[in-house]
Amino acid sequence: MLSLLLENIFFTWLGITSVSGPVYQITFIYGASLVCWMDCINISAARDRELTGDFSVVESTECLMELSELHRQTSATGNSYHGASQSVRLRSKSVASNQNGPTFNWGSSPTQGEVQNESGPFLDLRERPLPMHLKRAIREVQQMRVPVVTSWQSWQRSKAKSLSRFRAEAGGIFSYIILWRKALHKIGGHFGGGVQSYFMFLRFLVVLNFMSFMLIAAFVLIPSIVFKSTSTTNMTIGSTGQEKCKEYNPNPQGLVLFYQYFLDLLSGTGFMEYSYLFYGYYNDTVVDNSGFHYNLPLAYLLTSVFYFAFCLICIIARMGSTLHVAVATSSGAIGTYSKIMFTGWDYDCRGDQATKLKQKSIHYQLQVELEEQRLQTMTASLTLGQTVGLYSLRVFLMFLSFTFIVAAFFGIFEATTFSQGQVGASGILGLIWQYLPSIVITTGNFVVPLLCDQIARFEGYSPSTTIILALFRSVFLRMVSLGVLLFTLWSNITCFKDSQPCQLCQYNQKDYPCWETSVGQEMYKLTMFDFLITIAMLILVEFPRRLFVDHCSCALTRWVGRQEFLVPANVLGLVYGQTVVWTGALFCPLLPVINTLKFFLLFYCKKVTLFSNCCPPVKTFRSTTSTIFFLVVLLFGWGLALVAMIYSLAQIHPSQSCGPFRSLSTMWEIVPSTFYTLSLLTQSFLFYMGSQAFSIPLFVFSCVVLCYVAALAAVYGNSVNLLKAQLKLEGRDKQFLVKQIEELSQKIGVQMRDKADTFDSGAAH
Amino acid sequence: MGTTASQLGKDLLSEYQELTFLTKQEILLAHKRFTELLPKEDRTVQSTTRLSMEKILSMPELKSNPFRKRICHVFSTSDTKDGSLTFEDFLDLLSAFSDSATLEIKSHYAFRIFDFDDDGTLDGGDLEKLVNCLTGETDDTRLTPEEMRQLIRNILEESDIDKDGTVNLSEFQHVISRSPDFVSSFKIVL
Repeated sequence: MLSLLLENIFFTWLGITSVSGPVYQITFIYGASLVCWMDCINISAARDRELTGDFSVVESTECLMELSELHRQTSATGNSYHGASQSVRLRSKSVASNQNGPTFNWGSSPTQGEVQNESGPFLDLRERPLPMHLKRAIREVQQMRVPVVTSWQSWQRSKAKSLSRFRAEAGGIFSYIILWRKALHKIGGHFGGGVQSYFMFLRFLVVLNFMSFMLIAAFVLIPSIVFKSTSTTNMTIGSTGQEKCKEYNPNPQGLVLFYQYFLDLLSGTGFMEYSYLFYGYYNDTVVDNSGFHYNLPLAYLLTSVFYFAFCLICIIARMGSTLHVAVATSSGAIGTYSKIMFTGWDYDCRGDQATKLKQKSIHYQLQVELEEQRLQTMTASLTLGQTVGLYSLRVFLMFLSFTFIVAAFFGIFEATTFSQGQVGASGILGLIWQYLPSIVITTGNFVVPLLCDQIARFEGYSPSTTIILALFRSVFLRMVSLGVLLFTLWSNITCFKDSQPCQLCQYNQKDYPCWETSVGQEMYKLTMFDFLITIAMLILVEFPRRLFVDHCSCALTRWVGRQEFLVPANVLGLVYGQTVVWTGALFCPLLPVINTLKFFLLFYCKKVTLFSNCCPPVKTFRSTTSTIFFLVVLLFGWGLALVAMIYSLAQIHPSQSCGPFRSLSTMWEIVPSTFYTLSLLTQSFLFYMGSQAFSIPLFVFSCVVLCYVAALAAVYGNSVNLLKAQLKLEGRDKQFLVKQIEELSQKIGVQMRDKADTFDSGAAH
Repeated sequence: MGTTASQLGKDLLSEYQELTFLTKQEILLAHKRFTELLPKEDRTVQSTTRLSMEKILSMPELKSNPFRKRICHVFSTSDTKDGSLTFEDFLDLLSAFSDSATLEIKSHYAFRIFDFDDDGTLDGGDLEKLVNCLTGETDDTRLTPEEMRQLIRNILEESDIDKDGTVNLSEFQHVISRSPDFVSSFKIVL
C-alpha cells in the first residue's frame, strides 16, 4: 500500500513538474496508473489480504506490469491516446464483464497470486471463495509445478495428508456416537439457537453426571461391595462411656405395610436407608492383604474431593473456547444493529411457519433496540426532579422485591425446622411433612419471581436491563434458598440453638443418630420432588393449556396463548438440580447416577412438550453468550456446594454409629493420619512443597507471568486501534484520489477540446 | 436395475473431498438429492447438467429461506445468469454452508448474498432490501420509513469504518469476526 502511494505521488510530481513535451500524455499515464491502482484495490479486496506483506509486493508488481504495458503502447504507436485509452477501457471492462451494468467480478482474482503462494498446503484451495472449475484449474497448475522440496518436507506433507484423511474418517464415525445429535439439530431448526443451547446444556450435564458416577463407582462403590465382609469396628478411639452414640437401628422393625415401600422409595427411608444409596452403609474397611492396600475411608474422601475438582475442570473446559471468543468480541464494541442485520438470520430454519416466526423475532429485536435508543435519549433529557423521583421509585421497588425474597427464606427456615421435628410421623401426612422443605422451596421459586416481574414493570428500566435483573433475582433466590435449607439442617445437627443434646457426642445424636444419612435423604428428596413436579407440570398444566387454547376460541385463550418455552427459567431449574446433587454427593454416593437418569428422562419429556405445546420464543436468547451465562450460574452452584462440603468435612463431627469415618473426630482427619504413614522422604518433600520457601517464589513467578500476559493483551489492543485508524486514513486517501481523478479527467477533456480546436483551425489554414 | 447410471466415481469423490469442506457421506447425499431433482428421463449427472432455479428452490431446505434467490445467483456459474446450478455449483453451495467451512469463506459468501446489486459494496439500497428480507414484508412486520432511515444510519455508523457510505468486504468481515454466533447460524445441512 505504502509503495503504491509513493508511486502515485511520484507520478503526480512528474505530471506537475513536466513543462515540456506532451503534458497530456504524462498526465494521462498518471490517470491510467490511478485506474489500475483502483483495480488493484478491488482485486485485493476480493482476496482479503490487505494488511499482510504479500499484498504490497503483488500489487505493486502487477501495477508496474500494467504501467510498463501502457508506457510501451504510448511510445510505440502514434495513435497513442486512443491506444492507451482503449487498453484502459478494456481493463475496466474486465471488471465489469456483465451486460447488467457494472457488476463486480469476484472470479477475477488472478492466478498470479500463486506466484507468491509457494508454501501454501493443498488445504488452502478449499478456503478460496472460487467456483469449482477455477479451483480445479489452480490445483492442476499447482500439481504441474513441481516444487523444489526436500525429502523431509515431502514426507511431512504426505503424513499431513494421511492424518487429515484419518481425521475425516474418524469424525464421520464419531458423529454416530454423539448423543442426540439429530434431535438437537431438529430442535435448532424449529426453535432457534437459544432453545437449542438449553438442550445442549442438558446433554452436557447428563454426560458430566454419568462420568462422575463412573468415578465414584470405580473407587468407592465397587471396592465397598468387594470388601464388604471386613468391618474393623474395634478401631474406635476413645470409646469410654460413649456406647449411646453408637446406637443406630435403621432397619424397619416388624411387619411393614405394602404402601410403606412406595413411601420409602420416595423419601429414602425404611428399606432404602441402610443401603449403598446412603453414607451410613459404608464401613471403615482398611484392606491390607499381601501387597494390596486399600483404605476405604481415604478413598471415599478423596473421591468426593476429586469429583468436585473434576466437575470444575469440565465446566471450565467447556467455557474455554466460548469465553475466549466472548472476551475477544466484547472489546471492540461492535454495535447491536450490525450484528442483528448481518448475523441474525438462521439459515437452517425450515418451513414457512418457522421462517415467519424468525422474521417476527428479528423485527421484535429491532423494535427493542430502537426503543432502547429512544428511551436513552428520553432519560438524557429528563429534568432533575424527574430523575430523583425515578431513582427513589427504583430504590423502593428493589427494597420491596428484596422483602419478598427474605420472606421466602424465612418460610424455608421454618418449614425445615418443623419438618425435622416431625421425623416420627407415618403415612401420607408423614410424607408431606418430610417433603415440606422441598414444597416450600419450589413454591417460593415459583411465586416470588412472578411478584418481582410485576414490580419490574413499574421500574422503568430498558428491556435488556429488566431481563438481566430478573435473571439475577431468580438465581439469587434459588441458590440462597438452598443455602438456607442447608444452614437450617446444619444448625440443627450442631445444636446452634441449644447445646444440650450435643454434649454427649458432639452432634445432635438424639434427633440424628446418623446425620450424614439424614442430609443425604434430604438431598435425595429434593431431587425426586424436583423431577415429580416437572412431570406434574407437564401433565397437569402444559398439555391442558394447549388443548384449551386449540379447541376453545374465546378471548381468554387469545390472552393466555400457547406456552412459550422460557429458556432462563428452565436453565435455572437444571442448575438448581445439579447444585443439589453436588451438595448431596458426599452423603449419598449414588445421587449422580440418579441424576443422570433424571436428566435423561427430562430431555425426552422437555422435547415432547416443546414440540407439542410450545411456540418458539419471540424474545430470543443469544446462544453463545447464553452458554457462558449458564456455565457461570453453574459455577455459582458449584461454589455453594463446595462451601457445604468443606464445612462438613472440616467442622462437624462424623456420626459414631455409621459410615466410614465413625472413629475419627472430623472427616478430614483421615488425610493427616495417612500422611504420617508415608515414608519420611515423601513427607519431607510434601512439607517442602507446602512451606514458604516454595510457595512464595511460585507466587512471584505467577505474578510475573500474569503481568507479561496483561502487557501482551494491551499491546494487541493498541495495534487493533492503530489498524482501525489506518483503515480510516486509507479510506480518506481513496476518496481524495477519486476526486483527483475526476478533476484530472475534466482537465484532460478541456485540453483535448482545445487541442482539437487548434488542430482543426491549423488544418483549416 | 443394477448400478445406477449416476454413481460418483471414486477419484471424482476424492477430488470433491479435497476441494470442498464436505465429508464423503455429505457429498454422496448431495449427489442423491441432486439426481432426485433431475427429470426422470435423464438421471445422469455430467459436468454440464444444470438444474433450473425453480427446481433448486423446491428443496425443503431452501424453500422458505428469504435469501434463496440470492443464494442461487451467487453460486451459479451459468453464463445467462439465470441462477441455474450444476452439480459442482451445488457442492460449492453446500461446502460454504457446511459445518466445517471457515469463517472467511462464510463471511465472503454472506457478503455476496447481501450485495443485491452485485457492485461489491453494501450501500443504502442493499441494506434496505436486506432489512426487508429479514423482517418479511407483511403488514405487521414492516418498518416505517423513519425507522428504516434510522436503522440504516445506525448500521452505517457502526460498520462503515472509512466513512464512505458503504460497507465493503473488509468492514463486513470485521463485524462478522466480532460475532461468535455467525458460524453456527450460517449453516444448511441436508
